[in-house]
Amino acid sequence: MYEADRALVARMRMGEQRAFDEFFNANAPRLVAFLARRSSLDPASLEDIVQCALIKAVRNLASYRGEAALLTWLTEICRHELADVRRKAARRPAHLSLDENAVNPLVESQLRAPEHHEPVSELHAATQRTAIMHVLKSLPEHYARALEAKYGDGMSVEDIAQQLGLTTIAVQSLLARAREAFRQRWLESSAGAACRGMQ
Amino acid sequence: MTDPQSPETNPASDRGVEETLTDALSTPPLGEERLARIREAVAQEWRAATAGSSDRPAPTPRSRWVAYAVAASIAAVTIALWVTKPSTPSVSIGSISRLNNAALEVRSGLFQHRKLVAGDALRVGDRLTTSGSMLVNFARGGTLRIAAESRLSVTATTQLSLERGLIYLDFPPASTASNPLRITTKAGAVEHVGTEFEVMSDDHGVRIRVREGRIRFLGKTATLVAGAGTELYAMPGAQISQRSIDTYGRDWLWTAALAPDYEIDGHPLIDYLRWVSRELGRPLDFADAKSRQIADHTILHGSVRGQASLDALSNVLATT
Repeated sequence: MYEADRALVARMRMGEQRAFDEFFNANAPRLVAFLARRSSLDPASLEDIVQCALIKAVRNLASYRGEAALLTWLTEICRHELADVRRKAARRPAHLSLDENAVNPLVESQLRAPEHHEPVSELHAATQRTAIMHVLKSLPEHYARALEAKYGDGMSVEDIAQQLGLTTIAVQSLLARAREAFRQRWLESSAGAACRGMQ
Repeated sequence: MTDPQSPETNPASDRGVEETLTDALSTPPLGEERLARIREAVAQEWRAATAGSSDRPAPTPRSRWVAYAVAASIAAVTIALWVTKPSTPSVSIGSISRLNNAALEVRSGLFQHRKLVAGDALRVGDRLTTSGSMLVNFARGGTLRIAAESRLSVTATTQLSLERGLIYLDFPPASTASNPLRITTKAGAVEHVGTEFEVMSDDHGVRIRVREGRIRFLGKTATLVAGAGTELYAMPGAQISQRSIDTYGRDWLWTAALAPDYEIDGHPLIDYLRWVSRELGRPLDFADAKSRQIADHTILHGSVRGQASLDALSNVLATT
C-alpha cells in the first residue's frame, strides 16, 4: 500500500491547499515528461493532455485507493488521454490542402519550423530516443520504471524508493540490475541494427 | 539511417548507460507559463470538487465508533417509535403530474410500501427514492421537480426533507408566503419567499441556486436571505459561501425538461410568453410597443402539450 500517497490524496480531499501544491509540483512536470517521451506532441498538445488528465484525476480522487503509486495512477490516466488524442487524430483527414485561398494562420504557424530547429540533429535525437524507448519497453516493467524515474525525471534514489515502496538500498540494487539489463539489450539491438544495415 | 549508438556515449560501460539514458530520456520542461495555466485549471476543478471540505475535521477512529454507537441507538429508538406509532390517515400535499419511469415505489412507514403512477397523490409521511425524474403539482400551488436518484421525505404539509439529490421548486410570485414550504437538509433548511429555486443535497452539504424571488437559508451557524442569481453552498457547521450565477442556460435545462404542460387554448399570448420566460429564466422584452400590443390581444388556440418549452415556444410563434 502507498500510505504516503494515500495520505496526500486524503488531505487533498479535505481541501488542504498545501496538499494540492505538493500533488501538482510532484506530478505535473513528470506527466509532461512521461508524455513527451512517448510522443512527438508539441507543447500546446502536451499542456492540453496533462491538464485533462489532472482534471480527471482531481474529479476522481475518491477512486484512488493507494494500491499503486499516485504517479502510476496518474500516468495511466495520461495514457488514456493520449490514446484518445491519437484516436481522434486518426479520424482527421491525413492531407491538408495548401491551395485554398486563405490558409488558416494557425495551420501556417504550425507548418513553419522555428528558426532554431535543425532537422538533421532533431532526427538523430528522435531516432536515438525511439530506439532507447524500444529497449526500455522490452525490459521488465519495474526496471523500465526505475530507469525512467532516475534518468528521465531526475528523481533521487530516496524519491524513487518512496514512489516504488522500496528501501533506498533496494532501489540502488534495482537500478544497477536495470542498467545492466538495459546495457545487454542495447548492445544486442545495436548489433542487430548494424547487421540489418549491412544487408 | 542514424546509428543509435552515438560516439559521445558508450553504453558498453555503466557510465555510458547513464549518459545514454539521461540524454535520451530527459525532456525539455514545458515552460512556466504553460504549467501555471495547467495549475490554475486543475486547482479550479479541485476546489469545485472539494468545495467546503477544508473546515471539516477528519474523523478519528475513536470518534467514528462513538458516532456509530450514537447512530445505532438513535436508529433503535426511531424503529421502536415507528413500529408502535398508531397509523393515522395522511394528508395529500399534491399529485404526481409526470413520472419519467414506469412506477415509483414509496415507503410510508416501516412496513408500508405502495407503487405510485402519474396522477397519484403524494402524502405526508411518504419517503421516496427516484430512479427517474418526476414532476409534482402542489395542492397549494406551485410545482416540485425531482431529478433521478434523489431521496426525499414529505415530513409535513409544508416541509420536505431532502436526504440527497436534486430538486427544483417553483412557486409563482402570486402564491402566498405566509406559510412557506421548508426544505430541510443535513446542512440546514431552506424556505422560499415566492420564488423558483434549486436545492441539491448530499452527505457533505447543500447547494441552493435561486432563480427568481428570494429564499431564506437557516444554516447551523447562520441564517441568510439570498436573491435571484445567487448560489449558496453550506456544509454542516461550516461557513456558508455564496456566488453569483446565471438564471438561464445549460444548468437549468433539466428543469425545463420537467416543466408542467401549459394549456394555451383560450389564453392570451402574453400569458404564455410570461410563463415561458419564467421557465427559461430569461427576461421578457418586446422589440416595440406594437409587438407588446399584439401579445396582449392575441388569443391562442390549440395545444402544446408534451412539447419541450423551447419547441413549444417556436411552434406557438410560428403559428401566431
